[in-house]
Amino acid sequence: MSGWAILGQAVLALVGGGIVGLLYRGLDRKIAARMQARLGPPLRQPFLDLGKLLAKETVIPKTAVAWVFSAMPFVAAIASFTALLYLPWGPFGPILEGHGDALLVLYLLAVPALAMALGGFASGSPLGVVGAQRELVMLVSYEFPLAVVLVALAWRLSTLGIAPAFSLGQMARYPLWGVVGPLGLIGLVVLLVSLLVVTPAELAKIPFDIPEAETEIAGGLFVEYSGTYLALFYLADAVRTVVMAGLVVALFVPYGIAQPLGLAGAAAQAVDLLFWLAKVFGVMAAAVTTVRVGMARLKVDQIARGFWWRVTAVALSGLLLLALDKVVSG
Amino acid sequence: MILKTLVAQLISRPATNRFPVKYMPKSVTRFLAQVQEGKAKIHPPVPVPPKFRGKIAYDREKCIGCQLCIRVCPAKVIEFKPEVKKIRMYVARCTFCAQCVDACPVDALSLSPDFLLASTDRLAPELIVE
Amino acid sequence: MSARNPKDNDPVLPAVEERVVERELVGAEAALGETFAVPIGPIHPALKEPIRLTFRVRGERIVGVDIRTGFAHRGIEFMGMRQGRNLIQILYLAERICGICSVSHPIAFTQAVERAAGIEVPPRAQYIRVIISELERIHSHLLWAGVAAHELGFDTLLHLTWRVREKVLDVLEELSGNRIDYAIPIFGGVRRDIAPEQYPKVWEAIRYYRGLLEQLLDAFLRDPTVEARTRGVGVLEPKEAEELCAVGPTARASGLRKDVRQDRPYLAYPDFQVRAITPEDYGLTPVGDVYDKIVVRLLEVEQSLNIIEQALENMPEGEITSFPKIPALLAYLKKAEGEGLGWHEAPRGEVIHYVRLAAGEESLLVWKVKAPTYSNLLSWYPMFEDQEIADIPIIAASIDPCICCMDRVYLVRGGKEEVWPKEKLLKLSWEKTRRMQR
Repeated sequence: MSGWAILGQAVLALVGGGIVGLLYRGLDRKIAARMQARLGPPLRQPFLDLGKLLAKETVIPKTAVAWVFSAMPFVAAIASFTALLYLPWGPFGPILEGHGDALLVLYLLAVPALAMALGGFASGSPLGVVGAQRELVMLVSYEFPLAVVLVALAWRLSTLGIAPAFSLGQMARYPLWGVVGPLGLIGLVVLLVSLLVVTPAELAKIPFDIPEAETEIAGGLFVEYSGTYLALFYLADAVRTVVMAGLVVALFVPYGIAQPLGLAGAAAQAVDLLFWLAKVFGVMAAAVTTVRVGMARLKVDQIARGFWWRVTAVALSGLLLLALDKVVSG
Repeated sequence: MILKTLVAQLISRPATNRFPVKYMPKSVTRFLAQVQEGKAKIHPPVPVPPKFRGKIAYDREKCIGCQLCIRVCPAKVIEFKPEVKKIRMYVARCTFCAQCVDACPVDALSLSPDFLLASTDRLAPELIVE
Repeated sequence: MSARNPKDNDPVLPAVEERVVERELVGAEAALGETFAVPIGPIHPALKEPIRLTFRVRGERIVGVDIRTGFAHRGIEFMGMRQGRNLIQILYLAERICGICSVSHPIAFTQAVERAAGIEVPPRAQYIRVIISELERIHSHLLWAGVAAHELGFDTLLHLTWRVREKVLDVLEELSGNRIDYAIPIFGGVRRDIAPEQYPKVWEAIRYYRGLLEQLLDAFLRDPTVEARTRGVGVLEPKEAEELCAVGPTARASGLRKDVRQDRPYLAYPDFQVRAITPEDYGLTPVGDVYDKIVVRLLEVEQSLNIIEQALENMPEGEITSFPKIPALLAYLKKAEGEGLGWHEAPRGEVIHYVRLAAGEESLLVWKVKAPTYSNLLSWYPMFEDQEIADIPIIAASIDPCICCMDRVYLVRGGKEEVWPKEKLLKLSWEKTRRMQR
């Protein structure tokens, strides 16, 4: 592929990712509202919110470390958008395939969290500091199960002789459901469950929204952020939602419907893209929206001590089952 | 189980009261103008019960100027006009306790179901009853 | 540290050492220390009313708390004392002490005045007062439950409880004409009767809540995340509750069977055999944590439904007020002399009004209001001890604080806060008593 073609695709993916992210944020709010018997905001509300934030004054507090405080929103937004380029978009493989593997996506998902934590520390507000500490505790807790899931799938893929196995594109091309034996199937389900549990934590949504925790620490990390900077965090969050849901789809349900329907060519690609969008929406509605309206916020020690070792244990047992399956079925 | 509640509410009609419109119009003044012309429609407010305590209504003819209402009014809403021996009420101050209605010996005061009294001007003509 | 202002040569104030509290360190510089201060309030999303709580925090653990009130002192008692208002006007001041307990304060106030002036209340009026105050308890507890859920980050429960709360507000609107500030009690009776055609609406609401109770109990008490956030959080030991004079659901959640309706029955309450609710009634051993407070409040909703049912069934016929004519009432109250105490179990706990009337004086000579939060505020200290930052909102909310109802003055002289020690306050109160006796 020529450089220009890649550039064009990248621009499409970035703009499209931003729009899909904001649109899905609107859907998320609407569905959450309906589940709570409310009317909810109109679908275009996130776009209006973003526009309003961009038009507002950006305040940098006197007590803040100004350059860190100002740089972090950009770091978060850039990292989130870059992750879009490594995400398989339904029928289309990752745009930058071969220029970085699944581990990079993992890091790109972690960078915004780190950036938010640094921004919180740099904001000079005690509430921001508390939020930042919580974000770091969360980061330590959820990154491990997430990594275990990726490693388990990549390892199983590599045993099939597929190289490079550690690539999201390859993982999406060769789903494991049909390959493994019964033990492996259980293992995959277990891994899927742990990934779905990790999803709201990665996106800092209830019950894991402790770094923001509006009623506790008044927005935590974001307490001092305003205007353009807050808009960037908002956008980064919306895009991260798509990336995270897209990751779940790529790893576990990468199937298209064009082939079974007997379509081909551009129509097949369009149908598959729409189906992919629907799948991403489904993951978001199930793992983010429903969870966030159906639960109370947990506390940081409940998450770090009581909860995450269980998720880690579940993920590890999934890995173990996959390995056992490999040993048994050969 | 909360999930049952969530699903039930997802598929049922939202409980939100849509008064006056579902979403904020782009321009409120233009929308109100359209309503005046009959081009747009406002969702009706929730009906009020029969003994609702809304804006005070005043029957000038019945009033004998005894000033009892002025004595019991906790918010000092009512002003006496000595030259005509009638009263004037500033509804912007009213707390809707209706004590003046109870006190009036000739039933010159009564309660109306009118409750849309928001205004930017405390002395707006619709907020002065006399 | 003596910071006495030489200009303040008020002969009433005895010369007692004054302590000036220095401002706590706030911000990044404080964050670097071993412990740091987290200021909550006077404006904060978790607080519905202005109060300042400064927490000294190590990591996420609270090691100390400093409570500062005085941001919303309205001087209502002062407005009622010899400020040219007559008692009927003061009644509506009393109603506006609290928007949520907006019938509790008038009930306590009218009782105080009725005792002082020797006015009898007809039985039917007593029943109507009970019905309105129990309806208010339902709406207040549902409101509290929604706020508590919101503090836990569980907005679905907030919307659920506030939606079902609309029903009781509709009934109150039907009976009184207003959703809050019902303006029902007046000295010697009530202002509005419950008409025969209104009974079905009240019955319908009772059935509605009876049907919902199980769903609410399920949503609050059997939800794993709510349980994780409230069990063992903000514990108020029974001994502490007793020592700190906690009242209302705050005390009852700690297992104290303390309820004015049970201990000193008034109005028509002796007819209903009210028994204070504790978590034991739900088969739990009282711990005094937030979970128990939810249990007590939800069970009290059911108790209120029972009381309203009994009241509707046994409603006596007759007059609703002993003074149908307002001028007669005003004239009688002007002649009245004496002192009286009125009490009522508001949704948040016991509220007490003390009044003193003088002949020939339309206004009150003395008016003292004790709102339930005033008694409950001190129980915050043991409840916050060794808890986490994340628990602050729900612990603060668990006593159902009504800051404006209890707010007291806050002394700032020369830009510095002043704290008066116990001895000085004691001397001040002696002085005041002597002035009053003159």
